[in-house]
Amino acid sequence: MKVLNPEGTTMINKVFAKLVLMGLMGLLAACGGETESTTTSAPVPEGTPSGSEQAQQFYAANPEFFSFKTPADVPTDLVWENGSHLPEIGSPNAKKGGVQYEAMQDYPRTLRLVGPDSNGAFRNWILDNVAVKLAHRHPDNFDFYPGLATEWALSEETRTVYMKLDPDARWSDGEPVTADDYFFMFFFNRSEHIVAPWYNNWYSTQYTNISKYDDYTISLTMPEMDPDILYNALEHTPSPEHFYAEFGPDYVERYQWRFVPTTGAYYVKDEDIVKGRSVTLTRDTNWWAKDKKFWKNRYNADQIYISVVRDSAKMFEAFKIGDLDMFGLSLAEYWYDKLPDSDPDVQNGYIHKSVFYNQRPRPTWGLWMNTSRALLENQDIRLGINYASNWDLVIERYFRGDFQRMRTPHDGFVEFSHPTLRARPFDIGKAQEHFAAAGFTQRGPDGILMNAEGQKLSFTLTSGAEPLAPVLTILKEEALKAGLDLRIEMLDGSAAFKKVQEKQHDIYFGAFGAFLEMYPRFWETYHSDNAYDDAFLEDGSVNPDRQIKVQTNNLESMAIYELDQLIEQYDASSDKQEMIELGHRMMEMHHDYASFVPAYVQSFYRVGHWRWVKFPEGFNHKHSDTSGELFVHWIDTELKEETLAARRSGQTFEPQINVYDQFAEEL
Amino acid sequence: MLFKLNPQTTKKLRRFREIKRGYYSFVILMTIIVVSLFGELLINNRALVVSYEGELYFPTYTDFRPGTDFGFDYSYETNYRDLKRRFEEEGQGNWVLLPLVPYSPNENHSVTGIYKADPPTAELQHYLGTDTTSRDILARLFYGTRIALFFSLGFLGAVYAIGISVGSAMGYIGGWFDLLFQRIIEIWSNIPFLYMVIIIFSVIPAAYAISTRIVILLVVMVLFSWTSMTYYMRTETYKQKARDYVAAARIIGASNTRIIFHHVLPNTLATMVTFMPFTIVSAITAVTALDFLGFGLPPPTPSLGELLKQGTENLRTAPWIVISAFTTLVVLLTLVTFIGEAVRESFDPKKFTVYK
Repeated sequence: MKVLNPEGTTMINKVFAKLVLMGLMGLLAACGGETESTTTSAPVPEGTPSGSEQAQQFYAANPEFFSFKTPADVPTDLVWENGSHLPEIGSPNAKKGGVQYEAMQDYPRTLRLVGPDSNGAFRNWILDNVAVKLAHRHPDNFDFYPGLATEWALSEETRTVYMKLDPDARWSDGEPVTADDYFFMFFFNRSEHIVAPWYNNWYSTQYTNISKYDDYTISLTMPEMDPDILYNALEHTPSPEHFYAEFGPDYVERYQWRFVPTTGAYYVKDEDIVKGRSVTLTRDTNWWAKDKKFWKNRYNADQIYISVVRDSAKMFEAFKIGDLDMFGLSLAEYWYDKLPDSDPDVQNGYIHKSVFYNQRPRPTWGLWMNTSRALLENQDIRLGINYASNWDLVIERYFRGDFQRMRTPHDGFVEFSHPTLRARPFDIGKAQEHFAAAGFTQRGPDGILMNAEGQKLSFTLTSGAEPLAPVLTILKEEALKAGLDLRIEMLDGSAAFKKVQEKQHDIYFGAFGAFLEMYPRFWETYHSDNAYDDAFLEDGSVNPDRQIKVQTNNLESMAIYELDQLIEQYDASSDKQEMIELGHRMMEMHHDYASFVPAYVQSFYRVGHWRWVKFPEGFNHKHSDTSGELFVHWIDTELKEETLAARRSGQTFEPQINVYDQFAEEL
Repeated sequence: MLFKLNPQTTKKLRRFREIKRGYYSFVILMTIIVVSLFGELLINNRALVVSYEGELYFPTYTDFRPGTDFGFDYSYETNYRDLKRRFEEEGQGNWVLLPLVPYSPNENHSVTGIYKADPPTAELQHYLGTDTTSRDILARLFYGTRIALFFSLGFLGAVYAIGISVGSAMGYIGGWFDLLFQRIIEIWSNIPFLYMVIIIFSVIPAAYAISTRIVILLVVMVLFSWTSMTYYMRTETYKQKARDYVAAARIIGASNTRIIFHHVLPNTLATMVTFMPFTIVSAITAVTALDFLGFGLPPPTPSLGELLKQGTENLRTAPWIVISAFTTLVVLLTLVTFIGEAVRESFDPKKFTVYK
């Protein structure tokens, strides 16, 4: 679902934060072990309306939004699409069966899909990577292929997307998926009981109508006609109306540990939730989509056993002895040092190493300068900081040349990305020129530049990405050469993000996760609405009384009147070419403003996997984010036995270190 | 001096000197502390002496010198290792005397061109190897230890100052004051120490210089650990106060100040001294644990905990990290514990009350 949840965007930070926090818990409290089961809740008092009764009342109270129509109301001149021109995703060689062993750093705090604590890394296993949505973007072609919908059609005049639902679709508890579940989805996500204001807002403002024509035909209407309108309409998983019979104000506690029936291939049995230790997913052997073109030969393992391993060093050791099937090796130290090509397990062909180059929008790692702070409001200072940040050295020495320098924070959007803009290189001379232009001409006794008033050129560099602390220490040492002092403030992930959300930072090192979207977003990060309350007066001049606006993603406090106009034009535009041009102009303005130092992009993922984990020819698909995301791999149980036996007897195989660069982009 | 050494004390000190293990530990530790005071002369990337065009420079403790001072074309701090190499190549009689280990603890100096942990090499003077970002481990260990030692001494001083004043006051004044403080201490000491330090320290803004932040961490730690000393002092003061000599002093007309400082406190010396090493041990352990968890001294401050953490994460690929950090910590804690044992034994009154 296209849900740019403010929390979701910081997932990268959050995972790191969890790593630190869980380590702490383990040490201090020696926690672990099973907690009390809370699956059973008090019965709902009699006379309380059921979830669906509440929903019916809600529909009746909002007739504008929820329309009940007849099949005859579907326009006849629609052009229906069904993605049938797209290639299959799964490999014909795939075999069903086996158990896939996985690890998670942190036990999920809930099995709910929304509400407090639900936005953790575990959600991938029960929602994001597993649940079938109405339609999905094809991982090679970007067009949509059918999921719960068999066909869809867009009516541009009415900004409405019509969808025919697959009558075969079933929830994992056997109930059919019908139009009612989509209606319920709106009731559910707009209800205050779920304690998720972001969802409440999204489902109230991004859609203007949902209509039911019969049990298997619906339409969704959007307020704006933008080029990516299909995405907003199709990337939805409905909410099972029958499951939320006890829905009410105590939803958060009542549904805390109940597995929500899914449209996907894997479900969780009650007995497979071992609190604090593991969760096991079981493959639905009668899954409704198992023979559908785009779903067959995927989701192959019979079971996925996910256990808690609190730190990544231990996780790696578990992988190395064969307790885990796969391990991400994207970090240089793992790829080159901890599992080098010369490792006996690799050389003997037991563990395969694979590098896969993908194409997708990249997370925006970089230095975000808060331009509302003293000194940072000066463009020369910002330019100086750009030139004083030695990312090339970090990439070359620390990441060992594996990553590339990011050009702009909007890399990976194909034609929407700027063709010629480049990040500024490390240049002490230029940095000092700009600092001098801002009045910082003298070096103090410690080598840090000072201005005439004796003020030091010193900024706090805040970050929550604890494992990347070494990167910051390298930057600090290098910046000192240009006379710039960076004081590193390493916080835990959520504390760091809280600080930047309150706009208390000078410079922040972090990233927003990027979704697989057609074009970048600008409003969230660059519009003055997200920087100040009433940033400008009527005539476009700066409002002298403006107040900083907190809790937004405009971390640079960007407020440029012309840029605002462009963003509004961009958001209102429905012409792709116009949007590309506007986008490029905005990127240029942002580049000139110099409030962001682009860091690096990783154009591949690397994974180590045991010989028995098989991948399709070509390894994976162009837009895939991780090796497991699309579930195209399979576990070959015979190979597993053979490999384990071979390992005991000393028999070896051909080593497999493969680079799949068929989708490598030139950067 | 606050307390005049009475014959009793001199006897105790003599006894301490007789306990060889503790005494030598004390000597070694003192040597380490004294040497570490002049650490910049031993482990530093600034040269000790530079002789350039007939003039001598001593950059160790002075302001930074830009490269332009010595004929380089850059305005940032001179790289004295490069300078030495250049002078040797030029052969014009200029020379540089570098410290034993010519690296600063924060400097990334890679052997291979890649920032990663490299094993010890004598040739490049990385005697204990480098850490995961190619910083010299010996330098980090040395300065980390120095910070830990002085941190714990500062901690000791502060905890004792508060603990002794409050504890003695409770014991001496007694009554409602004693009751009130007992309750306060009971509540205060139930606050989990490490958690509170982590929570409070995490909200301290990083805008301060690193040295200031270290002091803040010290204050926060003291804030949550001054209580333990008070109870011992309170008991001890109570005990002394009830003794006849105190009553006698009072009858003579001695003031409270005189009684406290000349009579009571000197007699509680044994308690104070006995706890000293253990306080130091706990301070070193606490600050190491905090760093290990990533909540302690701000990066890139060198610290034992940070090295230990790196070491455990790279146990297999870079064992030299954990070995150096672990050995240092063990040696340090063992020394302090030996001293503690010896102090306790020499101050043990039983030694002097045995009737033959």
